[in-house]
Amino acid sequence: MSPHFPPAETPSAVMSGVSLRYPKGPAVMADLDWQLLPGQVVGLLGRNGAGKTTLLESLLGLRSPDAGLVQLFGQHVQHLDDATRARIGYVPQQSDLFEAFTPAQLLAYFRSFYPRWNEAKVEGLMSRWDIARDKPIRKLSGGQKQRLSIIRALAHEPDLLVLDEPVASLDPAGRRDFLRELVGEVLDRGATVVFSTHILSDLERVAFNIAFLSQGRIALQAPLDELLEQVRAFTGSVTEMAALMARLGAEPLKRTPLDAGRERVLARLPVDTAVPAGVAADRVNLDDLFTELT
Amino acid sequence: MDPTHFVQINTGSPEPIYRQLIEQVKRRVAAGQLQAGDEIPSVRELAQALAVHPMTISKAYSMLEMEGVLLRRRGLSMVVAEQHQGAQPTADRAELLRPTLEKAAAEARQLDLPAEQALQLFKTILEEAPR
Repeated sequence: MSPHFPPAETPSAVMSGVSLRYPKGPAVMADLDWQLLPGQVVGLLGRNGAGKTTLLESLLGLRSPDAGLVQLFGQHVQHLDDATRARIGYVPQQSDLFEAFTPAQLLAYFRSFYPRWNEAKVEGLMSRWDIARDKPIRKLSGGQKQRLSIIRALAHEPDLLVLDEPVASLDPAGRRDFLRELVGEVLDRGATVVFSTHILSDLERVAFNIAFLSQGRIALQAPLDELLEQVRAFTGSVTEMAALMARLGAEPLKRTPLDAGRERVLARLPVDTAVPAGVAADRVNLDDLFTELT
Repeated sequence: MDPTHFVQINTGSPEPIYRQLIEQVKRRVAAGQLQAGDEIPSVRELAQALAVHPMTISKAYSMLEMEGVLLRRRGLSMVVAEQHQGAQPTADRAELLRPTLEKAAAEARQLDLPAEQALQLFKTILEEAPR
């Protein structure tokens, strides 16, 4: 833990034993456990259709799971009081803005719900991101709608920010600008942020922690720095690999069978363990981790 | 110091961002581009300039402090530690290149390249790169 963000008493969000299955479909979440701590920026990774949106919607109480418990700031997600509700910001994947309103009308409407509202930030972002205040929202471009949705989510200075593919329609400059805003949220308030995106370079910059959603569970969550330093890919015969894992005390994360009794093993080494000389081990980047672990 | 040009980061690398920061600061100190007493950008400034999580920056700075490259001052920005008075001897600077070259050497062996040819390539690259 960094001195900037000491471990705090209550996690911002807790999911425990959460299961959800669509009628006639496979389980989207299967006894899933997850925890987000204050000040953490967690990047959520998963293949298309893995259930990232369902997971984030369940976290926010927008979807009721078949089983399990979801708590935000220590309160049951279905019984949040108004003060706690006002601590949450959400940018959905699909724009849910009122299309007939103008941005100015929309923001005035939302402003009435929140005890806290940072007008200076709203005005600053509206100008910087070049959003017409008095044009109906339906006439804005996809990128402008997405920016407006982000402004709406940041305006009340949330302590927990949930972002579902927030940058899909932004250009690289717009994305960088958005990431700077996120960093500002963390610097100013120690906000907890969780976001899903397929743009791994963005995630790598701001997400200190990465969570991998696979087969209905958070298969792994760890600081990205640690994963890059500790995870290696080894190749050899199945018996060699078993012996090597035992010798190194490594935790296998993914095994891929190859021909002739050989396999490729992606494994996490214990902290500060060097790979012995003579053992071939490939380093991995975030793309490799995404491909292997989701 | 302008935080936007202080360091550069490469995403998509197996090298964590905090490591990239550490190595770049060390190289600039070794070359004498950063000298004793030079102020470096604050965690806040650099985090916002690079759009990188502040913990990544503070982790790099703490390690540079432990290694005696940077000095923390109460309530003030960090500075380059006083023993770094100028460019280090070339032999010491060359040593900083070793990890990168070891990696290149391993790849050259995998490719079964004659040493002469690999060296010639490195020489060409050195000469053609903008200074």
